[in-house]
Amino acid sequence: MKVMGMNPRRVLCFLGLVILAAGMVFATGCGKKPEPQTEPEVIVEPVTETIQEPVVPEVPAEPQPLVDYTRMQPSEYGIEDVYFAFDRYDLDDRALGVLTRNARILKDHPEVIILVEGHCDERGTVEYNLALGERRAKAVRDHLIRLGIPTDRLRVTSYGESRPFALGSNEQAWAQNRRAHFARP
Amino acid sequence: MPTLPRFLCFVVCLLIVAFRPLPVAAQGVPDVTLGVTKTAFAKIDILVGTLDVLSGGLAAVEAAAALERTLSRDLEYSGLFRVGSGEQPAPAGDLNFEFAIRGSVEGPLRDAQQTGRDAPTTVSLDLVTHPGGQLILNKQYRPVPDQLRTTAHHFANQVVEMLTGEPGIALTRIVFSRGSADRRDLWVVDYDGESLLRLTANRTLNLCPAWSPDGSEIAFTSYQNGLQGLFSLKTATGEVRRIIAQEGLNLGADWHHTGRELAVSLSRSGDPDIYRVSPQGEILHRVTGLPSIEISPSWDPSGRDIVFTSDRTGTPQLYVIGSEGAGSRRLTFEGRYNDSASWSPTGDNIVYATRETDITQLVLIRPTGEERRLLTDWRWRNCEDPSWAPDGRHIVFASDRTGAFKLYVMDVVDGDVRQLTFGDEPDITPAWSRN
Repeated sequence: MKVMGMNPRRVLCFLGLVILAAGMVFATGCGKKPEPQTEPEVIVEPVTETIQEPVVPEVPAEPQPLVDYTRMQPSEYGIEDVYFAFDRYDLDDRALGVLTRNARILKDHPEVIILVEGHCDERGTVEYNLALGERRAKAVRDHLIRLGIPTDRLRVTSYGESRPFALGSNEQAWAQNRRAHFARP
Repeated sequence: MPTLPRFLCFVVCLLIVAFRPLPVAAQGVPDVTLGVTKTAFAKIDILVGTLDVLSGGLAAVEAAAALERTLSRDLEYSGLFRVGSGEQPAPAGDLNFEFAIRGSVEGPLRDAQQTGRDAPTTVSLDLVTHPGGQLILNKQYRPVPDQLRTTAHHFANQVVEMLTGEPGIALTRIVFSRGSADRRDLWVVDYDGESLLRLTANRTLNLCPAWSPDGSEIAFTSYQNGLQGLFSLKTATGEVRRIIAQEGLNLGADWHHTGRELAVSLSRSGDPDIYRVSPQGEILHRVTGLPSIEISPSWDPSGRDIVFTSDRTGTPQLYVIGSEGAGSRRLTFEGRYNDSASWSPTGDNIVYATRETDITQLVLIRPTGEERRLLTDWRWRNCEDPSWAPDGRHIVFASDRTGAFKLYVMDVVDGDVRQLTFGDEPDITPAWSRN
């Protein structure tokens, strides 16, 4: 086999290097013992964990008597946002499902007041998008009222295209930005 | 003596701005001449001569250079002149000068040097015939260094008005909204891109500013605790007061030319409608009352009619209505999405934004609905929020052709465009001051 057919001089040289390297590692290892132990662990930070997770745990928190829901963002106790089609403000089946679940949560926490924010994607004009965003927010508010949430617990505002959730000029980002978002007023 | 270094710095800044190379991203579009029919409009050829420096040393030399530069730029930006400068009398080849500007700079005066940077310069500027040298106009100024640009602007306006009868725009300013996501502040910039200044710092969204006719106030839409309101900022002091904050939208204000009222869109009764409100926030009149979106009002310069957007037919279109709410007529029939109308101060044009597929472009139309023509094309990506200069010839608008939305000024007569604002932050909803 050709692999073994190495020049013996090379092998010697290689061995020499290995010994030298081992010696250096050993030397430095002995030289300063207390320091190096802390360093290597920091490097192994998993990068993936920093990615923002918009979806909230489905379990709307355990019943803890001391939790003040009026001080929390609605997403923290299970309220979900509602999404819309391009240029539309009508509620599709998925949106109706989300609002049904949201209404149940809101009924469990009658102390909470909710701000419904209407948002649009970047296409179109600033002003018309503010009006469209308001329509979206009002469509959501009106449906929650139909589901039994008192009017005075629901406020409405519109940010139009001004506060996008996702940046980018593609359908994926646009779809993220056409929504009614629930916020603490 | 702190005067000279500071002043040098100022001049250097001016130089940097004046001779800044074209923005890199602008190279993507080789020719800024857009889909505008070039009219056979005869521009006036004018020579801006080298000003004589009578005394005052380096400071005066620099003041003279700054004056010449600003004057030349103002005349060029008016769209009415072809300008030659002192050293290169005919840079564009065969300019046939009919008029020339000449003059002198003197000082700062020796005794006034004691007051440091406030030492005034004496400036004398003449407009003369060329080559005859017959005096048409003379103005004397005593500007401190900070007022040199204003001095040049003032004289440029005098020249424009004297030779063309058109109002000069050299002293106008543009207010706009800069920022993204949670924070957009109002900023103001001179019409030539100089003297950029931030006006608000309230950590929220500030949008859709509108100048009062005398420039003393800027109405704008902002948010308090997540809810929209219409506010007013005093330009002299920066003081902000609330005009009106009804439930829902309080949007898109436009001042009547008397300054005694504003047209605005409010959704207090459910859907947004056009209202007339006083500067103190009293509702004077409800102009529209349909169960559809009525937004983005703009007064005609006589103050009798209002152009606005309505989606009563299912798509946003422009309509014109009397300010009492009578005689509504549809203005736009082309395009499925028309908004952001601005009625020219000269009354003869309306500029607006139209969206086709995913791109928003600018359109010019007569108030009768005739002579519709596109001002921009797809190479410009989106062009939005047009606002007229008081000359009825220039518009400012926002375009994202370089990535972020930045402001551009277009001469709608010959189609020339220049970039007004720079940087990475989006600039939107500009409004040109009325004078």
